[in-house]
Amino acid sequence: MRSWDSVEAFETFLDGGGIVEVDDRMPDVFRDAVFAFIEMHANSELMGGLTERDWIPRSPGVKNKMAILAKTQDEVGHAHLLYMVAADLGIKTRTEMMEDLFAGKSKFHNVFHYQAVTWADQVAIAYLVDSAALMSQQAVFKNCSYGPYKRMLKRIIAEEGFHMRFGEERLLKIAEGTEIQRDMFQGALDRWWLPALQLFGPDTRDGDVLLRWHIKSERNEVLRDRWVQKYVPLLTSYGFVIPDDHLRHDEATGRWEIGEIDWAPLKAALANAGPDSARRIGNASKNWHDTAWVRAALDEAAA
Amino acid sequence: MRIYEVFLKRDGKDEFRHAGSIEAANQQLALVLARESYARRAEGDLMWLVDRADIVSADHSFIAPNADKPHRHNDGSLVAARRKAQREAAS
Repeated sequence: MRSWDSVEAFETFLDGGGIVEVDDRMPDVFRDAVFAFIEMHANSELMGGLTERDWIPRSPGVKNKMAILAKTQDEVGHAHLLYMVAADLGIKTRTEMMEDLFAGKSKFHNVFHYQAVTWADQVAIAYLVDSAALMSQQAVFKNCSYGPYKRMLKRIIAEEGFHMRFGEERLLKIAEGTEIQRDMFQGALDRWWLPALQLFGPDTRDGDVLLRWHIKSERNEVLRDRWVQKYVPLLTSYGFVIPDDHLRHDEATGRWEIGEIDWAPLKAALANAGPDSARRIGNASKNWHDTAWVRAALDEAAA
Repeated sequence: MRIYEVFLKRDGKDEFRHAGSIEAANQQLALVLARESYARRAEGDLMWLVDRADIVSADHSFIAPNADKPHRHNDGSLVAARRKAQREAAS
């Protein structure tokens, strides 16, 4: 077990590319920051998995149904793995984290505070939200100073790649479909563009500890911009319209410039007061209570 | 509930590698959960589960005495230098 005499000595270790392991005596401030970050990621995977689950019976056709089943399994699996990594930090047990989530006491990503209204929303989620999540996760993975999380991200990223490809393929089908299908996707894009953009968060503040401690390796605005530069041309190439009146292509720089972002929806979502937060947390909580007998039976089986 | 460490190995390749951990009520359920969490896309053909409580571990300070023993390595530099000199003399 390694230990450091001061936060400064610890930071020197991190700046030198040091990787922290679970049994190291890391400073409490670092432990808390890493824990909060992983807990939010775990919660988001679980809440995302529950949204996917809603679409298992409603998917159009058996192929989509099987793909959504696999995706649901992946997301819930990611939550499982991340809750283990978070619990090992010794701040909350896995059960405590889940109880806090279902009581509305902890956070999960903004994109899971909205409702997926049509199948096109599912496609928009897979195409926009999964790609944005993947881009952020890759940036964390690249240089993450907390070893157990970095290793878990490797496997999560691999699986999120499948989800993104699923989204790309379904978008292609919808784009080549009927006028009704194209309208349906445009509606979904209108609903999901801003939440996906806001998944990256507001501009990173100077002195942000997640950056300083190499938990994250890139600033939010850099990642957001990278995503915009990639996805605006992709979506417009299919003939869809980005719901941003101020969006323009700067001929001189060759870059896409987006309009000002209204951050109020992000703040509301992160305070569990988004458009669909109450229903989602309520459903998840009901599910947790309805399945109490399974957990009790497992405990009995083990005793 | 017990915590199990999960190790996976691809058939005929590599060694068993640590994949992560899972929490389960008993060994049988642990196997199912580990398969569904860590080997959904053929990440391995063989799996070991080890109860975390059974792991005997050593940390950096125990291993440290072996970290600085250059006499246990031989990088072959003397011989390599002679060969190089011979090659250069011949050309």
